[in-house]
Amino acid sequence: MTEAPRPRLAALALAVGLVLADSSVVVLALPDIYRELDTSVTAVTWVLVSFNLVMALAAVPAAHLARRVGPGRAAAVGLAVFAGASLACGASTELATLIAARCVQALGGAAAVTAVLELLPATVGSERRATVIWATAGATGAALGPAVGGVLTELVSWQSIFLVQVPIALAAAVPILAVARHEAATGVVSSELRRTGRPHLLANLALALVSAAIAAALFLLVLLLIEGWRMSPIAAALVVTVMPIAALAGRRLGSSVPSTRTRAAAGAILVAGGLGGLALLPKATIALTVPPQVLVGLGLSLVLSALTETALAGRAPQALHGGWTISARHAGVVIGLLALTPIFTHDIAEQRQDAIDAGTAVVLDSRASPLLKIQLAQRIDDRLAEEKDKVPTLGPVFEPLPEDADEREAVVTLREELQDQLDRGATHAFSPSFGLGALMALLALVPIGLARGREVEL
Amino acid sequence: MIDRADRGKFLFLGSIAVSLVLVLAYLAAGGSDYAPAKTQDPCKPREWRNPEGLQQIAEQFSLSALDGAACKLGVSRETLARALATEDSRQRFLDRYDISDAELARAIRAGLVRAIDDAEEAGALSPFLAAPLRQAIAAIPLDRAIELVNDARSLFEGGGSIIGLGETGLGILEGFLPE
Repeated sequence: MTEAPRPRLAALALAVGLVLADSSVVVLALPDIYRELDTSVTAVTWVLVSFNLVMALAAVPAAHLARRVGPGRAAAVGLAVFAGASLACGASTELATLIAARCVQALGGAAAVTAVLELLPATVGSERRATVIWATAGATGAALGPAVGGVLTELVSWQSIFLVQVPIALAAAVPILAVARHEAATGVVSSELRRTGRPHLLANLALALVSAAIAAALFLLVLLLIEGWRMSPIAAALVVTVMPIAALAGRRLGSSVPSTRTRAAAGAILVAGGLGGLALLPKATIALTVPPQVLVGLGLSLVLSALTETALAGRAPQALHGGWTISARHAGVVIGLLALTPIFTHDIAEQRQDAIDAGTAVVLDSRASPLLKIQLAQRIDDRLAEEKDKVPTLGPVFEPLPEDADEREAVVTLREELQDQLDRGATHAFSPSFGLGALMALLALVPIGLARGREVEL
Repeated sequence: MIDRADRGKFLFLGSIAVSLVLVLAYLAAGGSDYAPAKTQDPCKPREWRNPEGLQQIAEQFSLSALDGAACKLGVSRETLARALATEDSRQRFLDRYDISDAELARAIRAGLVRAIDDAEEAGALSPFLAAPLRQAIAAIPLDRAIELVNDARSLFEGGGSIIGLGETGLGILEGFLPE
C-alpha cells in the first residue's frame, strides 16, 4: 500500500456518500426537469426510480464482481463509470437519455459502494468501525442529497447536479487507484475469501421498509414545498436541510446505546412519528415542518446505521452483505416511490379541484360586485387552463387591484381566502401518502422485533 | 450514572413519547381538518341571506340559478360558475363533461326556474311576476340564459322585456319587489 490511510479513508467515505446521495439528490430538481423536458409527474419520477432500481438489482452482483476482480479495481472502475454517466446525465436533453444515463450511473455506483466496504476494514483496522463509517457516510449522503441538489438547481441548473459529481467521483477514485495497482501487481483479488453466509433477512427487510418510509419523507416533502406551497428550490433546500442536521445529531444520540435492536426500533418509531406529523400538518407553514423533520432525521440516523450493523455483523464477505443492504435500501426506495406516486398524484388532482371549488365558493359568496365576480371567475378559469394539472398560483388573478379602497380591501381578503383554500388543498393532498410512509416505518418494527437474540452488542 | 441498558430504555420510550406528543399536538391543532372547505351540494336548498335592494336580490337569484343548473348537470355550482365566465371556458367545460349545448341550455333554464321559485319563497319576488317569468325563461336562448345567470340584475331591472312588459312596465315590476 502506497497511500496513507487518512486520504484513502476520506476518499472511500466520499465515494459512498456521493453515490448514495444520488438516490435523493435530484428530488428538488424534479419540478425543473419536469418542466424543462416537458413530461409528466409519473414519468419524471423515473429519474429517481431508475437509479434506485438499478442499484437494488446490481448491488449484490457488483459485490460478487468486487470479490472476483478485486475491490480496489472494482471501486476505481465503478467510480469512473459513475463519473462518465454523471456527465451523460448532465448533457441529457431528453428524458429517455437521462434515465438511461441514470441506470449506468447506478451500475457504477453499485460497484463502487460495495467494493468500498471491502476496502474499509484494511484502511481503518476494524471491521466494525468500517461498517459504522460506511453506514454513516451513506446515511449522511442520502440525507444531504436533496439540500445540495436544491441549491445547485436554484443557483445554476438541474444539469449542474450531475456535472459537479464528475470531478468529485474522479477525485475519490485517485487514492483508490493505488489499491487497484497493488491488486494488479500482487494478484490479490480480495482481502478475504471466506465462505459467504446467508444475508440477514430480517434486518434487510426492515431496511427496505424504513427506506421506503424515508423516501416518502424526502420526496413528498420536497414536492409539497415546491409544487404545493410554490417555494423556490433553494428555499425548499434550506427547509429540508433540517433532516440531515438532525441526522448528524442523531449519531450522538445512538452512540451510547449498545443494542442495535433498540436503536433500530427507536429510529423506526421516530421516522413514523415524523411522517405522522407531516400527515397531520395543521397549517401550511414552514415552521410546522421542522419538528417532524427533526424526528425523521434523528430516526433515519439511528435506524439505518443500526440495521446496517445488524445485517453485516459477523458476516463475510462484507462487500456481499453490504451489497444486500444496498439492495434492500434501494428496493425500499423504489417500492416507496412506485407505491406513493399514483396515490399522491391522484390526491393532488382531487384536492386541487376541491380547493379551486372552495376558493370559487368564497368568491361567489362574497359581497364583491357581480361584474368583479364574473371577471375573477374568468381569470381563475384561464389560470387553471394555463397551469394544467398543477396547483395554480392565483396571485396574478387579482392584479391589478381595484382603485376603490373598499373594493380593494374586499379583493385582498378574497385573495387571502382563496390562497388559504389552495394551501389547504395542497397540504391535504399529501396527507395520505405521508400516512402510508409512517405505516411503512411502523411495519419495520415487526422484523426488528423478530430479530431478537441476533442483535449486536457494541 | 445511567447504565447502558437504561439508556436503551430511555431512547426507546423517549422516541415513543416524542412521536406521540408531536402527532397529538398536530391533531389538537386541527391537523386532521386542514383541508379545503367542502362546497355545498347544489341540489340542496341554499338559504337566501335577507337580500336588500336590486343588486343583492339579483346576486341571490344568480346563485340559486347556478345551484339549479349545476344540480341538473351533476357538477358543483363553483365549476359551473367558472365554466360560464367566457365562451372558451364554456367550451372546455362542455368537452370535459361531454355535455351538449342543448343539455346545458336545458340545465340553465331549469336553474333559472329554481331561482324564481327560491326568490318567490324568500319573499323577494311576487307570485304575480314569478309566473310570467317562468314562462318567459322556458323560451330564452342559451346565451341570454347565461347572461341572466351571470348577472340577473338585467332580469330585475329590465325584466319587462323578457315577459313583454316593455319600458312602461318597469315601474310596475319595481313595485313587486320588496323595499
